[in-house]
Amino acid sequence: MKPAPFDYRAPASIDEALPLLVLDSAVLAGGQSLVPLLNLRLARPELVVDINGIAELDYIRAEDGALRIGAMTRQATLERSELVRERWPLLHKAVELVGHPQIRTRGTVGGSVAHADPAAELPVALTVLGARYRLRSPRGDRVLDGADLFRGPLYTAREPNELLVEIEVPEQPDGAGSGFAEHARTHGDFATAGAAAVVAPEGHTAIALLGAGPVPARAEAAERALVDGAEPREAAALAARDVEDEHRRALCAELARRAIEEAMA
Amino acid sequence: MTGRLAGRPLRRREDDRILRGDTRYLDDIDPPGAAHVAFVRSPFAHARIGGVGVPDELDGVTVITAADLEGRARDLPVQGIEGGRVASEGHPVLARDEVRYSGQPVAAVLAESRALAEDAAELVEVDYEPLEPVLAAGDSEVALSEWRRVSGDVDGAFESAAHVVSASHALPRLAPVPMEPRGAIASYDETDDLLTVWVSAQDSHRQLAGLAAVLDRPEESIHVIVPDVGGAFGSKGVVSPETAVVAAAAMATGWTVKWAEDREENFIASYQGRGVEADVELALDGAGTMLALRARIRADLGGYLMPTTAIPGHTTAMLMCGVYDIQAADVEIMGMRTNKVPTGPYRGAGRPEAAYFVERTVDVAARELGIDPLELRRRNLIRDFPYETALGWTYDSGDYVRCLELAEELVKPERHSDDTRVVGTGFGMYVERAGGMFETAVAELLPEGRVLIRSGSSPHGQGHDTTFAQLAADRLGVGIEDVELRFGDSKEVPRGVGTFASRSVAMGGSAVVLAVDALKEKLRELKDPPPGIRASARFESDLVFSSGAYAAVVEIERSTGRLRVLRLVAVDDAGTIVNPLLAEGQVIGGTAQGLGQCLVEEAAYDEEGNPTFASFLGYSLLTAAEMPPVEAAFVESPSPLNPLGAKGIGEGGAIGTPAAVANAVADALGGRRVDPPFTEEKLWRALREAGP
Amino acid sequence: MRISVEINGRAHEGDVEPRTLLSDFIRHGAGLTGTKVGCEQGVCGACTVQLDGEPVRSCLMLAVQANGRALRTVEGLAADGELHPLQRAFHEAHALQCGFCTPGFLMSMEGFLREHPDAGDEQLREALAGNLCRCTGYLGIIEAVEHAAREMRGDQVEAD
Repeated sequence: MKPAPFDYRAPASIDEALPLLVLDSAVLAGGQSLVPLLNLRLARPELVVDINGIAELDYIRAEDGALRIGAMTRQATLERSELVRERWPLLHKAVELVGHPQIRTRGTVGGSVAHADPAAELPVALTVLGARYRLRSPRGDRVLDGADLFRGPLYTAREPNELLVEIEVPEQPDGAGSGFAEHARTHGDFATAGAAAVVAPEGHTAIALLGAGPVPARAEAAERALVDGAEPREAAALAARDVEDEHRRALCAELARRAIEEAMA
Repeated sequence: MTGRLAGRPLRRREDDRILRGDTRYLDDIDPPGAAHVAFVRSPFAHARIGGVGVPDELDGVTVITAADLEGRARDLPVQGIEGGRVASEGHPVLARDEVRYSGQPVAAVLAESRALAEDAAELVEVDYEPLEPVLAAGDSEVALSEWRRVSGDVDGAFESAAHVVSASHALPRLAPVPMEPRGAIASYDETDDLLTVWVSAQDSHRQLAGLAAVLDRPEESIHVIVPDVGGAFGSKGVVSPETAVVAAAAMATGWTVKWAEDREENFIASYQGRGVEADVELALDGAGTMLALRARIRADLGGYLMPTTAIPGHTTAMLMCGVYDIQAADVEIMGMRTNKVPTGPYRGAGRPEAAYFVERTVDVAARELGIDPLELRRRNLIRDFPYETALGWTYDSGDYVRCLELAEELVKPERHSDDTRVVGTGFGMYVERAGGMFETAVAELLPEGRVLIRSGSSPHGQGHDTTFAQLAADRLGVGIEDVELRFGDSKEVPRGVGTFASRSVAMGGSAVVLAVDALKEKLRELKDPPPGIRASARFESDLVFSSGAYAAVVEIERSTGRLRVLRLVAVDDAGTIVNPLLAEGQVIGGTAQGLGQCLVEEAAYDEEGNPTFASFLGYSLLTAAEMPPVEAAFVESPSPLNPLGAKGIGEGGAIGTPAAVANAVADALGGRRVDPPFTEEKLWRALREAGP
Repeated sequence: MRISVEINGRAHEGDVEPRTLLSDFIRHGAGLTGTKVGCEQGVCGACTVQLDGEPVRSCLMLAVQANGRALRTVEGLAADGELHPLQRAFHEAHALQCGFCTPGFLMSMEGFLREHPDAGDEQLREALAGNLCRCTGYLGIIEAVEHAAREMRGDQVEAD
């Protein structure tokens, strides 16, 4: 299908963009999620605000030990970043699995977060890394953690007049290992299930499942069990215990086990 | 085949302009000032239509409903099946007072652009009164087609048999998904009373015949042009309701009218394949000789009969003895009406279903009798040809023993079970009908000793141009560059039958060769033949029968149920092979579709009759990353029925693969029944039930 | 809106609506129909072109977004009319049948091989997964890409 008609603006700065964000406007970042919806007429905004021209949103840098990613950073840029590969390897593993190279050329980190698809890799990896998200509106900034940002499938706490501007990822503990495992029907297809894990020698553990619930959520019982010395298989079973369908539960547990073992290797 | 060129793996002449982007598929044709069509389609699986309202504010837009086409367009025709009954009511081009499937076209909106037509289509008000849909063939009370044949003393054989084996199978519907969706452009010249239609189709002939029937016009008053076609796999054979509407709209308005189907429409409204269930019984004696076969087959045909909807089911029924010497058979097929899009021929068109039902049952029998599945097959394979089956077809030639032997040798069977995985091996043999009816060609002398061949066959990726040129050049003793082929334009090529049922080399190729021979005959008598001399040929033949043996080794991961095909072997006997490179390409391509059927493809409707497969999110296709190693080999049992000895290779991959993979999966699961697609969930549960 | 897009080194101007997709502008605005449209969902890859040298789905971009940018489509792949090693390899390996998916594969893989000249076979297969083909069954395409990769690296290439 062709999209329903809409108006279009391409602001050159965040300040220029903000007044344009109203209830019936849609933010066009990478377009890899929004344009398919436009093309099916499932999204019918009155105004499309194209933020691809906002250069000040495109950056990756380490500041005071934390990683700061501008919302318009392309997934391909994240994938190529040596800084990210060395110090936040889980993000590198996750972004490599996002769709296909052509998708990653345009798709953005912020776009993936704001779209909040429960089958998406970046939100679950960022959740495991304890990321925080900066939203800006004409009234100012607020910073949310993942639990407050992700509210449901394809639904975040971002108000219509807010723009996601930055993702901040805290420094990871020394010697932390990471693992990401996912499963899809065909290569590059949306993941049907997955798991991300970070395990550090002195006890820090973070585990989250992909596609197991409405939002990416830390599997706290599993994390505690692992810290207490449980085997990866046991911790994985705990992580998946709330998954209703038997097969999905087994699948999630298997993927969690792989992610945990990779992180502990 | 040994010729100078025929039999050699020549690369294709067609490739250069494709690689350079210099192609013209339907949507690449942009007639200036054309009116673009968007269809209003039913959102309900079953509903009465009270009326269609067009709001006044739709300026610059034309809406066409069934009422506007009264007296201008008839329902699509319906083809019968030999020895069976098929209902006569065909598919209306636009719905009148009822819709019978979600996606059925109700009205056509014409505007300056597709986007504007879609905007207007949203405003058209259709008064639907939803009705309860029938979504399973088993729940339907309306049979649109029926066929039964009883041959030999079936009851007696079953009564006296040492073993009676029963097995039930179900194959879900599949979507053909050519990469290029459908489309048509029509333009009407009132002065000459000539309707010109460009259509993405498998051939011009059936479009021509269909349009002539629907629009009630003589064929001479219609000019059909088939441009480059981006795949079809059976789905672009007969005329579609949409094409008929485009043509009727062009005649009614005087405009050039264009419809370029989008992917969503192609998924929901293009007719589907398979959708059949079968209960099969096999009677065997103590030594494992097959005595008789009974089959009750039920097909889910959809809401209407498209012209060829009843044909695949009939083909399945006729092939239910498979490659085995079974003298007595009782086969019945009922095609039931449901509130889904119609089914029709899709790569294999009835043969994959037959191969699946027979080969799975044979493996069940082998397990029950405690005989090795290959041994059971060997004891029963047809060895002498021609062979007349109990069901009525005559297999012209074959070497089933050799195909099976070669498949076993190449696949290297493997069977294994441990904590983490199970590995199984399975075989699937097939025999399939190809060719038949007639095909035509005209050979014309051009300047400088070159020759133009106009062929009734029509390509959609198979490489007809190169293949036929190889045949003609050999026959003429000229270089391949001196042979030119023409396809697809109804005013340029002789009226023929078309491209489907793997018939092009056997029928079209034979016609080319005969036309060339006839031209040579004419030229021999002339001292200085002027360009323009023509000779035509019409080659007629009974069906030819390709066959083969496929084998697969599969691995199932216990923890997730994930299926991996470790390797696949395809042994096909399509008689004489003219171009082994292109033939192998057909096999691999067919195999990928067969694997898709096994691993990920299923066109499922939800409980309300809405398609769950309206996009690639709901219907998966395999990617390069999923393809296993495939080894293709050919056995050549020439057919006595045509000058080339050729049969058909276009569909074997889609026919043999599902049977082999299904048997491999069953082998790995200790015989438990699982129907395709073999999803992880199904396999995981089956493994748990089967125990370690 | 009036836009100007450079395609294969030539400027193409046109009037578009904001909702006009880049794929439609390339095909019907600029008349370069070598790029195909297969799904308008970003899944099939038939519409893949290169934006500043990187493969992108043209069906997932608005035409206005390409204003002032440079694109390369399949028509621009053969330099001075001579086929690119990838195009030659496709021909040799019978990696195309109906040809509808071919331009998308060429533009995806030319970009990928430029950026990953040393990609291993598994990496190549995964990169290929971004384009769908319904005719060939992919094995010929895989062979073509592996061959082209070797040739582009300057490895010894066996005569077939």
